[in-house]
Amino acid sequence: MSRMATRQWMITHEWMVKPMHQREWIERRGIMIWIAETFTSLGAGLYLVSLFVGSWWGLLAGWVIIVFIKLPIHIAYFGKPWRFYQTMPPWSNAWKTSWFARGILFSVFFSMLGFVQLVFGQPDFVNLVGANICNPIYYTFGVLAGLNALGVGIYGGFIMNYVKGIPFWNQGLLPVLIMLAGVADGFGLIMAVGLAGGDASVIWAETGSRYLLLINVLLITTYMISAGYSSETAKLSIKELVAGPSAFMFWGGLILLGLIVPAGISIFGLIEGGEAATPLLITAIAAHTIGAFALKYCILRAGIYRPLLPKISAF
Amino acid sequence: MRWGMVINLAKCTRCHACIAACRIEHFLPLGMTWPRLIAWETDIPGEELSTIPVRCNQCKEAPCVEVCPAEATKKREDGIVYVDNDKCVGCRYCIIACPYQNRTFFSKDKDPGYFPGSERTRFEKAGHKLYEHQAGTTEKCDFCLERIDAGMAKGLVPGKDREATPACVNTCQARALTFGDLDDPNSEVSKLIKDKNGFQLHPEYGTEPSVYYIDYKLGNAPSNVAPREEQTASHLQHLSTMEARAKQIFGKK
Ligand code: SF4
Ligand code: SF4
Ligand code: SF4
Repeated sequence: MSRMATRQWMITHEWMVKPMHQREWIERRGIMIWIAETFTSLGAGLYLVSLFVGSWWGLLAGWVIIVFIKLPIHIAYFGKPWRFYQTMPPWSNAWKTSWFARGILFSVFFSMLGFVQLVFGQPDFVNLVGANICNPIYYTFGVLAGLNALGVGIYGGFIMNYVKGIPFWNQGLLPVLIMLAGVADGFGLIMAVGLAGGDASVIWAETGSRYLLLINVLLITTYMISAGYSSETAKLSIKELVAGPSAFMFWGGLILLGLIVPAGISIFGLIEGGEAATPLLITAIAAHTIGAFALKYCILRAGIYRPLLPKISAF
Repeated sequence: MRWGMVINLAKCTRCHACIAACRIEHFLPLGMTWPRLIAWETDIPGEELSTIPVRCNQCKEAPCVEVCPAEATKKREDGIVYVDNDKCVGCRYCIIACPYQNRTFFSKDKDPGYFPGSERTRFEKAGHKLYEHQAGTTEKCDFCLERIDAGMAKGLVPGKDREATPACVNTCQARALTFGDLDDPNSEVSKLIKDKNGFQLHPEYGTEPSVYYIDYKLGNAPSNVAPREEQTASHLQHLSTMEARAKQIFGKK
């Protein structure tokens, strides 16, 4: 029997001898990272989509998600949350090398710039001050806040993509996948804004959502295939998702609820003449959102490290 | 100057003394692990067991330094990578980013006391005063930088003089661990690496670890055991250092 195929059991200290899951960011308090990362995608995606659609209510909802849900959960996860400020200049210049530090800066800038944009776009405020004063500020801050929302939406992908020990994450496509999934989630949520009587067009959102879902199906498939070729450990990650302990989340949450159900409803709406019925749309939005949680769960859960001695264990 | 360690895998007798020495030296709480002795069993007859002592590799291109958003993980000029626990925010990105998984997050539940439910031992009480572990921050092996600094301040040479040498290296009864300057071609570590084809773990990551391994063989260790008198001396010397520290706190009791 070749050494590669040798059955191995850890005895003294089971650590990095076989491929090992990352646990810090998904187990116990790590669940907070999962939740925070999902709200990052939802908030940033919704903000970006609302910028394109010109929906003030959408902008507000996206901003609230980032500032009042994502950031607090993320910071509460820290072992020393009150030291949060130490991750930013002038206390730290880590943004030069660390995507985590960049992400925090993006989030903080986004919070401030977005706030200004929201104030100068608020209809009553515009009526009071005058459109000629408000509009230039609204658009300027919109561009700046939008760029930072882009940063907020994509930095999580770069954070994970940097980790060389986890081949499933160490893929160039990951930031793109996470960003575009966030935009798709944004389309899902903007439908909710429209349904709730906000200033967004449901038909437009459905059309956008349809394209994004298609792109995401292709992206997820490409990602899984290319990751599978990258290493034996990445193959294990894929097995974990497709037929392992996370299969329920992958097939049920991500594929069925996150992709098939919203796409099906959207196509049904198209056949019916433009817009699906409200209960169906609510189902699509709920499924979309569950899909967003499932995607982040699958990525974090499938984070498996290569063992310390690849020569011995064939990984 | 760049401090490094060479680990002779054939000599390691998996006695766990290095693990204990580090625990004693840094008063590590029960749930904390800096170095590890990882081991596994194979079904190859005659080669049933292999062990590998691991600790932070003090990488020259350390991902943990690059990712730390608070600049709490730093690299010194002598290559030692350490955590400034007063700056660490506990985000744990360094733990995720270390491809060797050599870092541990210290939370209160990792310090249940050596005898949970009972009063803390004198050793633990001394530890709380001498070596504070901050809950909510991340820790790892730092090549015993306090020993190196204190020893060098006295003109001693790390790797040669025990007082300036990492605790685990001192205590290894099989002499499987060698410490020294990787930048000095005449140091023992450099010679061992050169003569015995020392290898690093996952060099393809580009991290340039400062911990090298030699004499790797899959299967039963040990192939070499230090003479009994040498074992006793190294253990006693280490314990006597600890006793002196304990006396500082508790008097002569
Ligand atoms: S082994 Fe891990 S913790 Fe140590 S320096 Fe390298 S990356 Fe950092
Ligand atoms: S846990 Fe501490 S040392 Fe590690 S990356 Fe975060 S701030 Fe830096
Ligand atoms: S060098 Fe020091 S800190 Fe590192 S494992 Fe050895 S005893 Fe522990």
